[in-house]
Amino acid sequence: MSILAYNGAAIMAMKGKNCVAIAADRRFGIQAQTVSMDFDKIFEMGPNLYIGLPGLATDVQTVQNRLKFRLNLYELRENRRIKPKTFMSMVSNLLYERRFGPYFVEPVIAGLDPKTGEPYIASMDLIGCPMETNDFVVSGTCSEQMYGMCESLWEPDLEPDDLFETISQALMNAFDRDAVSGWGAVVYIIEKDKVTKKMLKTRQD
Amino acid sequence: MECLIGIQGKDFVLIATDTISARSVVAMKDDHDKMYPLSDNLLMAVCGEAGDSIQFSEYIAKNVQLYKMRNGYELSPRAAANFTRRNMAESLRSSRSHLVNLLIAGYDKDEGPSLFFLDYLASLNKMPFAIHGHGSLFALSIMDKYYEKDLDFAGASALLMKCITEIQKRFIVNLGKFRVRIVDKDGIHDKGTVAPEPVVAA
Amino acid sequence: MALADVCGFKLGNENSYFISSEETGLGVPSLKDALRMSENFTVPCGVNLQDGINTAFTGTDSKVKIQFDHGTTTLAFKFQHGVIVAVDSRATAGPSIESQTVKKVIEINPYLLGTMAGGAADCMYWERVLASQCRVYELRNKERISVAAASKLLANIVYDFKGMGLSMGTMIVGWDKKGPALYYVDSDGERLVGQLFSVGSGSVYAYGVLDSDYRWDLTEQEAYDLGRRAIYHATHRDAYSGGVVNLYHMKKTGWEKISQTDTAELHYQYAAEKAGKK
Repeated sequence: MSILAYNGAAIMAMKGKNCVAIAADRRFGIQAQTVSMDFDKIFEMGPNLYIGLPGLATDVQTVQNRLKFRLNLYELRENRRIKPKTFMSMVSNLLYERRFGPYFVEPVIAGLDPKTGEPYIASMDLIGCPMETNDFVVSGTCSEQMYGMCESLWEPDLEPDDLFETISQALMNAFDRDAVSGWGAVVYIIEKDKVTKKMLKTRQD
Repeated sequence: MECLIGIQGKDFVLIATDTISARSVVAMKDDHDKMYPLSDNLLMAVCGEAGDSIQFSEYIAKNVQLYKMRNGYELSPRAAANFTRRNMAESLRSSRSHLVNLLIAGYDKDEGPSLFFLDYLASLNKMPFAIHGHGSLFALSIMDKYYEKDLDFAGASALLMKCITEIQKRFIVNLGKFRVRIVDKDGIHDKGTVAPEPVVAA
Repeated sequence: MALADVCGFKLGNENSYFISSEETGLGVPSLKDALRMSENFTVPCGVNLQDGINTAFTGTDSKVKIQFDHGTTTLAFKFQHGVIVAVDSRATAGPSIESQTVKKVIEINPYLLGTMAGGAADCMYWERVLASQCRVYELRNKERISVAAASKLLANIVYDFKGMGLSMGTMIVGWDKKGPALYYVDSDGERLVGQLFSVGSGSVYAYGVLDSDYRWDLTEQEAYDLGRRAIYHATHRDAYSGGVVNLYHMKKTGWEKISQTDTAELHYQYAAEKAGKK
């Protein structure tokens, strides 16, 4: 079994009209055994900027700590909020620094530009090769299932409420076909002046 | 083969560990203490690779005490758990890593009781109840069914007995007696050892 | 066979299940195939039976892999009103969930049930063979086969194939002259009689719940609840178990299917009960 699938995770992000959404499951398992059902995999990196870290749980926590540290230094030095694209480069750099002994996480980034409010989403492999898209990004143990759901449900210019419905259905129906992710889900809808966090009621098997 | 059990109650955390120290197929000791006090209101239970468990937990214990001396105040349970996690995560990617599983139980004036589960890969989880080792296979479903929020000590002990009785019954390795301690606002209290009733499998 | 006997057909190698590749070549249908249908097996070319076919498909260096459905939770227990059988319904291939609606209780005949863990095809096929043999026994002897005999037939069949890669862990449940009966049979050739068994990756979690609440004098309703609850707790903690709980009751009058309940429904029902109790 792959190290990336040791703990199990499913994360996706989607673009909408002047908004973005990011969603993740809540499982922390040790292979077949589900240990906890309230594990955080999405982290706030600014008022309109979030990162989802699926992969090996220990590296999820290490990477989020180290990213937050670098981000704090950046914002103190520059005295302004980071742009999502710049943040993506920061993540990419951090991961590539471990090219020969990588952190086993494949991040998903979702945010709005602090000045223009332009939606931004990106994903990355475990050594920091970025992929920016205009529709959706997925990462985790059931990426095939998530791609299938996103390809069929997503459409351009969704309003925040519709985006919430779309990403929730896409995520839930994807991880319901995966044994090692699920057990609850969390969705963040990020708009210019507010962020809504919602917990989903899902299957628990 | 070892087993650590933690249960968070209303105003305390209960920790129970088996007392066997095994080398190969031999039990070298049947009254081994796998718990280490980190400070007045912080207790850590350890199992895993022989040697690592003692070395690592003593290193953490002394550093937590050093922090208190330097700064004049103690680390909160959450801070101590994160400190431990970070040390483990760093050792994980070094040439010699510590292969230990931990439970960290603490009581904080402001946050109340808390229990942390830390596995040998350094994944940290705050949980209402937690089990390390093969015992988790048999006892987790019992915890799921019978655990309730705000248990008192009698309730937590009864739940613990249910778990170790089941482990004794279904697990082929005899784990012998379990040492029990609790952490509450007044500190760490020894609650002696408990042994499950011998039962015959149905 | 009767027709072949009347016509005077001679079939070589009567007692072997196998048609060696030297005799007929792989995949060439033989007369024996047609007459005895699928009670004999062609062997892949170049595989020595003595070496074990096992490693040819499941070994690490094998190019062809058979993935077994190891993830399962099944349980059965005897109590004062008969035997309860409860199973989950998930089938997985690696981490992928292939189905949430598998029937893991095999209805062998009105007085016999078999459960399924391990290789789905192995369980289904051999329990079908068992069903046919039990029917033949009934026709010859004018009475139903005992559960002990039926389970032993199965154990003996799979023991013939030991070391060749069969994978099954099954419980044979029935009611015969001596009353309710419960046997555990697996592909190692093990056969155990008992009061309470659970098989599969989630069995350890099911045992936890079963052991703490099981009594001989459970009422019917209590027994149903216990069976459902044990399977639910196993699906909750075990990634490879899930779907619905199928529950059967073996009575003097034969088996009855009691219920089919989604574990998602059970989870929120139990959570509400716990919250309400406080």
